[in-house]
Amino acid sequence: MKTFGIKVINMIAIIGLLLGYNMVLENRERDDQIAKLKAEVEGLKLAQQSAISENSEGTSENDSYADGTYSGEAEGFGGLISVEVEIEDGMITNIEIVSAESEDGAYLTMAKDIIPEIIDNQSTDVDTISGATFSSTGIRNAVTQALEKAEK
Amino acid sequence: MKKINIHKLSAKDKKKIHTWLRAFIQLLYFLFLPSAYTAAFSGVKYIFTQIGAGEKVGITSFVSVLIVLCLYTILFGRFFCGFACAFGSFGDAVHALYIKICKKLKKKPVKISDTWAARLSSLKYVVLAVIVVMCFTGVYSKTQGYSPWDVFSMIHAGNFKLNNYIVGIVLLILLVVGMAIQERFFCRFFCPMGAVFSILPILPFFALYRERENCIRGCSGCTKKCPSGIEIPDVDSTEVNGECFQCQKCIDTCPKGNIHCGIQELRGNEILFTLFRAVVLLGLFLWLGI
Repeated sequence: MKTFGIKVINMIAIIGLLLGYNMVLENRERDDQIAKLKAEVEGLKLAQQSAISENSEGTSENDSYADGTYSGEAEGFGGLISVEVEIEDGMITNIEIVSAESEDGAYLTMAKDIIPEIIDNQSTDVDTISGATFSSTGIRNAVTQALEKAEK
Repeated sequence: MKKINIHKLSAKDKKKIHTWLRAFIQLLYFLFLPSAYTAAFSGVKYIFTQIGAGEKVGITSFVSVLIVLCLYTILFGRFFCGFACAFGSFGDAVHALYIKICKKLKKKPVKISDTWAARLSSLKYVVLAVIVVMCFTGVYSKTQGYSPWDVFSMIHAGNFKLNNYIVGIVLLILLVVGMAIQERFFCRFFCPMGAVFSILPILPFFALYRERENCIRGCSGCTKKCPSGIEIPDVDSTEVNGECFQCQKCIDTCPKGNIHCGIQELRGNEILFTLFRAVVLLGLFLWLGI
């Protein structure tokens, strides 16, 4: 009974610490965001005051890819992973996993986190997901192969 | 077809059914759901890696497997270890093979002495602590290729690109030798996930107890049969031993049939209860999408 009590207290302490840790980080994130938004508002005010409206849009985006949908394949953990990459206006807009039959579910879900990374960076030069190295490397290599086909 | 009444089977038949049922469940889990143990432990590694890097701990797929398996273990005991862990099942098979070979060659199997086994069983906490600290400090990602689990999962998945896994391969071979000699060698002495499970507050409802007053004096057959060498507590206590894998061999070994789980009403329904737990676990895994 005594050891059971100690174990319960231990578990509650660990869960409490984790939740507390997450809460602290969340608060910090929120404060950061508020500060960032404030700075943005200030910046906009300044821009209005100076009333200089220069139309300078960064139009020279990555134009090295031809529009369309391209497929690619690469070795994951237990077999081939095949993906489809959509290119619109020369940009990677969507990546979908078509098949990854030999990957383990929990690992594949984790590895999918690499997709928004690739889209954000418009490049496959991103870090793999730790803990799901094989599957995420597979996705990355498959996207690389697809992009090779899309290159002008 | 003659209807079989499971309550009227002889002890020997019951034992046979239990053994085959366990082997069958283990084989199915081994073939179709081999990654649960690494996924759950990846959850532990992920949590400490995130904290070490000052990042938020999200409920990723690994963490949800970890949480669900821990809750399951708190309720049902370490049934996952005894019936569903691919690495544990692999060890059972290696040990069974070794015993069979010894029998054929008429040699006495080598065994680790009980005192040494008891001492070694705290090693798994050291393994857990070392891995956790390595994740926390961010060193862990540099040890790729050291984990015997990785090597095992890769071989299981038919992935033989093991060039950078020399350390892992050597460790795995050593573990296989250990597994042969001692039943549940890895689980008892080294498994970091087992260390997590055994510090959980497991509820006494389905843990095993014996009616001490009916025991034959000086028998201790259950303790000898137990892969963890547990002295099963008396019914009057609510003590739960975190080392119990719920393999349930003790139930069949006891010549007086003294052993049953915390809820006495389940006595005699062990076969159905085992099936029930296996199906619940399967349902959870499918729900998690492992």
